[in-house]
Amino acid sequence: MGRTVDRFAALSLLLLVLPLFAPLFISDSYTLHFIWKILFWAALASAWNLAGGYAGQFSLGHAAFFGIGAYTSVLLYLKLGISPWIGMLVGGALAAGFALLIGALTLRLRGAFFALATIAFAEVLRIAVVNMRDLTGGAEGLSIPFAPGLGNMMFSGRAGSVVLVAALLLAIAVVTLIVERSRLGYALAALKEDEEAAEALGVDTIRVKLISIALSAFVSALGGTAYAFYILLIEPSTVLSIGMSVEMALMAIIGGMGTVLGPAIGALLIVPLSEYLRAEFAGSFQGLYLLVYGAILILMVMFMPNGLMSVVRDPRGTLRRLTLRRRTERGRKGDA
Amino acid sequence: MLEVENLSKRFGGLTAVRDISLSLAEGEILGLIGPNGAGKTTFFNCVAGAMAPSAGRVRIDGRDVTGQKAHKLCRAGIGRTYQIVKPFAGLTVRDNVMVGALNRAESLAEARRFTEEALEITGLAPIGDDLASSLPLPRRKRLEVARALATRPKVLLLDEVMAGLNPSEVDRAIVLIRAIRDSGISVLIIEHLMRVIMAVSDRIVVMHHGDKLAEGKPAEVMADPRVVKAYLGEGFNA
Repeated sequence: MGRTVDRFAALSLLLLVLPLFAPLFISDSYTLHFIWKILFWAALASAWNLAGGYAGQFSLGHAAFFGIGAYTSVLLYLKLGISPWIGMLVGGALAAGFALLIGALTLRLRGAFFALATIAFAEVLRIAVVNMRDLTGGAEGLSIPFAPGLGNMMFSGRAGSVVLVAALLLAIAVVTLIVERSRLGYALAALKEDEEAAEALGVDTIRVKLISIALSAFVSALGGTAYAFYILLIEPSTVLSIGMSVEMALMAIIGGMGTVLGPAIGALLIVPLSEYLRAEFAGSFQGLYLLVYGAILILMVMFMPNGLMSVVRDPRGTLRRLTLRRRTERGRKGDA
Repeated sequence: MLEVENLSKRFGGLTAVRDISLSLAEGEILGLIGPNGAGKTTFFNCVAGAMAPSAGRVRIDGRDVTGQKAHKLCRAGIGRTYQIVKPFAGLTVRDNVMVGALNRAESLAEARRFTEEALEITGLAPIGDDLASSLPLPRRKRLEVARALATRPKVLLLDEVMAGLNPSEVDRAIVLIRAIRDSGISVLIIEHLMRVIMAVSDRIVVMHHGDKLAEGKPAEVMADPRVVKAYLGEGFNA
């Protein structure tokens, strides 16, 4: 939109190009895995952001799209020997189709009701996958025999996979930037702010919603394939879990919804934190990280509803809001 | 330009708008007045597609557009403002107007041109980069007009765009409405400020309890005893 924003976009892209080169400087396997994780979650949160952040379609069922991507490419590879590079596109298309179906059925739902409906759809899919044992391997899931090769999307070191998710993240960021600057971007911004006013100004809100969720589902599914051919095991209890959906949303919210860089910043903060908490309290306090997530989320919503990006973009404004808030609260107490 | 034929809107047992017909010629300003609760805004909502009418026809340029969705009606050439303003609070004034401009613009560049024109006409150009949330009410009202104008309507529906304006702002708004008409847009205006209605309207339609009570030239309508009674109650004689 404005010129300063364009400079900001260029900077964002520059930052997101850097991870592509990480494997040149880092060879330690554990560190590379750690970087992979951050990039992977950054990509997924960015994918969620396309619908949840830009269109205000607060989905908590994105695991369904992710899972469709993972299962489609793995099944095509295992049963028919089709390369995951093709499988990921097929998975993306199927996920987009499923998103259109969900979208069409939930059009009238707003806010929390939309979120609940998306949870329900994702759960239905998870249960279906668990029960279709012959095709999907049921609850045990599917494992992929390790056969390194570019065509198989499997690499003997971790470097290949890191570059792959870095490229995916970059691609999603580019798509996001293009959307932001397009006719669709204005329509999404309007839709998110006030649906009725957007309609009155000629925005076909239904069409715009469907496009955004289908696009978001497509790129989420690409993430599913990247995950499957790196971890080499997919099971419904992880790839189709509510936890998956929630973390995608959480990182985007914490980083800053409706911004290109926000979800990546969220991942950069949350992934190391959860790694640390899980490792440190693995024995004594299992699940502590969930408590911490919850606390962070509450604090963010209270004090920084626009996410960490608001600090990056407008540090003085954020500070002013924080202090102003405290002052008015004190004022209110004083009155009482 | 705009023809409304026997339009009615019922909510359950309540008839908010009953059998209203009116037509608006090209470049005409038609004032729609009536006491609170007369059904004026409901009538607007039915014409602009925010709700579907229970009965009746709406035609624009001879084309039947009854019951179509708001975005289709906008494309057909109906622009509207909301009495309770609905700015996109998180966007700048300019981006608010851009959303409307994209209705008819072929490209982003053209939309930017429409936007600057609408900002210029409404006097919002100097604050184009402000966030809509930072505007006081009179400017939000003007933003409503700017957005609707940017959609390049054939007919503009203005719903109480002057409430809350001080006298000098009202004078400027009157000039603005005349300028809009002079650019070839037909205007249907709901307004409580009689001074405004009398100054800008070519004709006036009076609604009362959902019915059309009177129609005619401003002076005639104001002299109509039924209109006086509707506003002031029994016992007053004009």
